Amino acid sequence: MLDELEPWSGLLSDPKRRAAYEAYAEGWEGRIGAFLQFSPDEPAGRRGAGQAAAKPAARLAAAGPAGRDPAEPAAAPTTEQGPTGALALVPFAVKDNIAVEGFRMTCGSRILEDYRPPYTATCVARLQAEGALVVGKTNLDEFGMGSSCDNSAFARTSNPYDSALVAGGSSGGSAAAVAAGLVPFALGTDTGGSVRQPANFCGVYGLKPSYGAVSRFGLAAYASSLEGAGVLGRSIDVVEEVFRAMVGVDPLDQTTVAGPGRPGTEAAEPKSVGVVRGLGGLDPAVEAAYRGALAALADSGLRLVELDLPMLDYVLPAYYTIATAEASANLARYTGIAYGRRCAGAENPDDLVRRSRGEGFGDEVKLRVLVGTFVLRSGFQDRYYHKAQTLRRAIRDELAGALREVDLIAMPVFPTQAFAHGDSGMDQFQQKMADKFTCTANLAGLPALAVPTGLSGGLPTGIQLLAASFREDRLFSCARRLAPAFPLPEPPSFSREFLR
Amino acid sequence: MKYASYVGLEIHIHLLAKSKAFCSCAARFGDEPNTNVCPVCLGHPGVLPALNEEALFMGYRVAQALGCELSRRTIFERKNYFYPDMPKNYQISQFAAPLGVSGGFEFEVKGETRRLAIRECHLEEDAGKLIHAGSVTLIDYNRAGFPLLEIVTEPDLKDGEEAEAYLRSFRRLVRHLGVCDGNMEEGSLRCDANVSVNEEGRGLGVKVELKNMNSSRFVRMGLDYEIRRQTARLAEGKSIQQETRLWNENRDVTETMRKKESASDYRFFPEPDLPPFEPGEAFLERVAGLAIELPLGRKRRFVGVLGLAEEQADQLVEEKSVADYFESALALGAEARTAATWITGELRAQLLRSGQDIAASPLGPRRFAALLGALAEGRIQGTIAKQVLKAVLDEDKDPEAIIAERGLEQITDRGALGAMVDEVLAREAATAARVRSGDKKALAFLVGEAMKASSGRAAAGTLKEIVMERLS
Ligand SMILES: [Zn+2]
Repeated sequence: MLDELEPWSGLLSDPKRRAAYEAYAEGWEGRIGAFLQFSPDEPAGRRGAGQAAAKPAARLAAAGPAGRDPAEPAAAPTTEQGPTGALALVPFAVKDNIAVEGFRMTCGSRILEDYRPPYTATCVARLQAEGALVVGKTNLDEFGMGSSCDNSAFARTSNPYDSALVAGGSSGGSAAAVAAGLVPFALGTDTGGSVRQPANFCGVYGLKPSYGAVSRFGLAAYASSLEGAGVLGRSIDVVEEVFRAMVGVDPLDQTTVAGPGRPGTEAAEPKSVGVVRGLGGLDPAVEAAYRGALAALADSGLRLVELDLPMLDYVLPAYYTIATAEASANLARYTGIAYGRRCAGAENPDDLVRRSRGEGFGDEVKLRVLVGTFVLRSGFQDRYYHKAQTLRRAIRDELAGALREVDLIAMPVFPTQAFAHGDSGMDQFQQKMADKFTCTANLAGLPALAVPTGLSGGLPTGIQLLAASFREDRLFSCARRLAPAFPLPEPPSFSREFLR
Repeated sequence: MKYASYVGLEIHIHLLAKSKAFCSCAARFGDEPNTNVCPVCLGHPGVLPALNEEALFMGYRVAQALGCELSRRTIFERKNYFYPDMPKNYQISQFAAPLGVSGGFEFEVKGETRRLAIRECHLEEDAGKLIHAGSVTLIDYNRAGFPLLEIVTEPDLKDGEEAEAYLRSFRRLVRHLGVCDGNMEEGSLRCDANVSVNEEGRGLGVKVELKNMNSSRFVRMGLDYEIRRQTARLAEGKSIQQETRLWNENRDVTETMRKKESASDYRFFPEPDLPPFEPGEAFLERVAGLAIELPLGRKRRFVGVLGLAEEQADQLVEEKSVADYFESALALGAEARTAATWITGELRAQLLRSGQDIAASPLGPRRFAALLGALAEGRIQGTIAKQVLKAVLDEDKDPEAIIAERGLEQITDRGALGAMVDEVLAREAATAARVRSGDKKALAFLVGEAMKASSGRAAAGTLKEIVMERLS
C-alpha cells in the first residue's frame, strides 16, 4: 500500500480515530457541503453491501457475447487482519451520479431524490474489491450539467479556500472533499471537464481517463459518448493507484477496450510538450500561472513545441450539440413510472410523465433536453447533429496528428480561478463558453489530467495535460516531474491530526 | 379509370434466443409478470446494453435466407419516442446500417411463383406490455428487451391474397430456420402493412399504414378492405389522407388511428453505448454453414425429382421436421410416393390423435422405413400396417417385433388358406351354390368371409384364386 494511504487504512474501524475524523468532517461540511450522504460508520456493513452488489453484476455479465471473459472484479482478499488489497480499508467518496448499492443515487436531481440503485457501478466495485470503503456520496450539478455545483437540487458546495466561491463542477463535491482532506481520493465523472475543472478550482489532481479505459457501467448517463469516471486525489501516486484498480475491459460496458495504458506496459518518459499558440481570454492570474507551469515543464527537461490547433474554435458548438443530443435520450427514462419521483394525482400515463418530469428536473436540465431534442429533429440533423459529428472527427484527427509530433499537450484548465456563487459569478452561458479547454479531450476521447500548481491570490491554479489515447502513463510521469516545483496547497484549517 | 394498388409489409418476429437482446434475462413467454427483469431491461439509471450475439446471429441467418446483402458493419441506433411501456423511452433499433439489405424472396400465389423484393432486416428490442385493469394501468416488463427482427418489404404486392400468401411462406421460412415459432396469436410474429392506390401507370399513391392484423387472414381482409376503400374514394374524386389505420376485426373495417400531423419524429441517432458490430469471417461462415434449403426449393425438388403431387409436397414442406423425417426415411430405403402418402395421411392422423411430435415420436424414420419395407415385401397388408403403426406409437417397439409378437405376418401358404376356404364354403353352402350359378357379387362376400377367418392376414390374391378354384 502507498505510504500516504497507510494512515487512512482502518481509520473507520478505530473508534477513537473515527470520532476525531467525524468531528473534523463535520466542521468542514458546515462550511463546504461536499457530501449529499455521509456515513462513515459500520465499514464492515458497507463492505458487505459492496460484495452483495457483485451479485446482480455477475448475473448481468452473462449478457456479453459468448466466449468473453466476464472479468468480474475478484473479492478483496481477506485475512484475520482484514482485507489486504492495495486500497484495504481506505475510505473514499463517490460522486452521486455513480451507483453504489446501499446508498441513494440522486444525481443531484429531485426526480431521483429517493432512488436506491439495486447494483454497484463497475468502477466502484473494482475499488471495493481492492478493499476500499465508500464513506459517502458527493454533491454535483444536476446530472452533471454545470460547472459550479450550484445546479444541484439539494445543496450548494463551496470552495474550501473561500466559501463564497464555488467548488466548480460538476464533480465539485468530490473535489471539495479531497481538497479539505475528508478523503484521500474521490470518484467523479467527466463529460466536458467535470473532474478537471473542480480539481483545478480546489487545488487537487483530477484525471479523466481515455474513453473506453474505465467502465461506464453504473454512471447515470448524461452524454454517453463523451463521459467517463475520473479520479480526484491529493497526489499523483494515489490517482494512478486508483486508476490502475479501475481500468480494464468490462463485459457490461461494450465500449470498454483493452489499451496499452494498463499496468505493466512500457512507460516511456515523455520528452516533448505541445503548447497551443494564441490561446486568448485567460484571466491574468490564470495566464500567469499557466506561463509559470510551462516554464516548470521546460525546467524539468521537456521540450516545449508550439502548436496550432485551429479546430479548437469548433470545440464548444460540437460539444454542446452532441452532449445535449445524447442527454435528450439518456434522460428520457426519468418518468416516475418504474422508479424515481412521481407526481401526485396524474390523470393518465402521459400526464404522469409530463408532470413528473416538469416537477423533477431543474431548469438547466430542461434547457439541455430541449436543445438536444431540437438538434436531432429529422430534417435538421445535417445542420446540427451530423455537422457536430463531422467537426468532432476533425478535432479528433487534428489532436491525434499533433500527438504524433509531441508526447503531451499542455493547456489551461479553465480561463478563470474559482468564481463566486450565484449571480455575482459567471452566468450559465459564460460557464459553457469557458469549457473550451476541457471539452477538447472529451470530444477526442483522450486522457487528460488537471495538475495543481499552487496558489495565486489565495486560490488554487493549475495546468491541464493531454496525451494520446491510452497513454495515461505519460500524464502521470509528467505530473511527477512537476510535483517538486508545485507542492500541493492546503486550504485554511486543513489538518491530518485525526489520522494519528 | 383503372387503378393499381401497392402493398408492402413490415413483419416483426420474436427471435427464439435464450436471453433478451441486451441483457441476460430469459426471453420467455408465460412467466409471472415482472419476473424476467433486471436493471438493464428496466432502464435503471447507469445501466448499459450488452449485445446478445445469439440474437444477432439469428438475424443474419434470416437476412441470408431472404437473399439480403449482409452488413459487414452494422450499427445500432436510438429510436426516440415516449410510451409508458418503454423503459428507456427510446428503443435500440437500426436505421442507417441494418444487418441486411436488398434481398428477394420467392413465394407461390395463385399457382404462380412471385419474387418479392426485401428492403431490409434489422434487429431491435421489444417493449413491455400495458395491462389495463379497471381504473389503473399496470406494466409487465417481461417482454421488454425481447430480441425482435423487423423485415421490411418493398411495396411490390398487389392485394390481400398476395400479402397473405407471402406471409404464410415467410412464416414457413422462419420456422424452418428455427428462429421464430411464427405464432401470430401470441404476437411472436406481427405484421403491419402499408398500402396505397393510384391510377395505373402513375406510381405509388398516398401511403396508409395498417396495423392490428393478428392473423394472416386478417392481413388479407384488412388490405382488401383498405384497397376497396381507397379505390372508391379516388373514383369519387376524393383524396387519400396519409395516416395510420387499425383493422377492426369485430366490424371487418379499418379505422383511423392517427393522422400524419401527430406522427412521431423518432430522432434516430447512433447508439453510443454499443460499438458497431463487424461480423468476422468466422461469424459469416457460421451463418453460411447453417443455411438451409428453402421450403419452396425443397417442394420443387420433391415434385420434380421424386414425382410427388404438388399438394402432398406442400404438406411435407410445411414443417421442416416433417420434410426432414420424409427424407430420412427415403435414405433408409422407403419409396418416396408411398412414404409421402403415409406421412401426410395415416401417420399425421395418428400423431394428431396421440399428440406426439413427429421428430420425437417412437416411430422414428428407421422404424417407419422398416414398416413400409414389410408392406412392400408383402409380408403385411395395408390394414395390418395401420395397426402396426398405431402399436409402435403406443408401445414404443420395433414394427418387426410387433408383427412377430402378434403373428401379423401375411399367410401365403396355399394349404392353410385352402383349409380356411373349405371351412367357409361348408358354412355358407347356399351362397356357394349361387356363385356356381353365376352370381359374381356373392363371390366377393365369400372371399371377405375367408379373409375374416384369417384375421385379415391372408394374401388377398391367393385367397381369391383358391375360392374361385373351389367353386369352378
Ligand atoms: Zn434484463
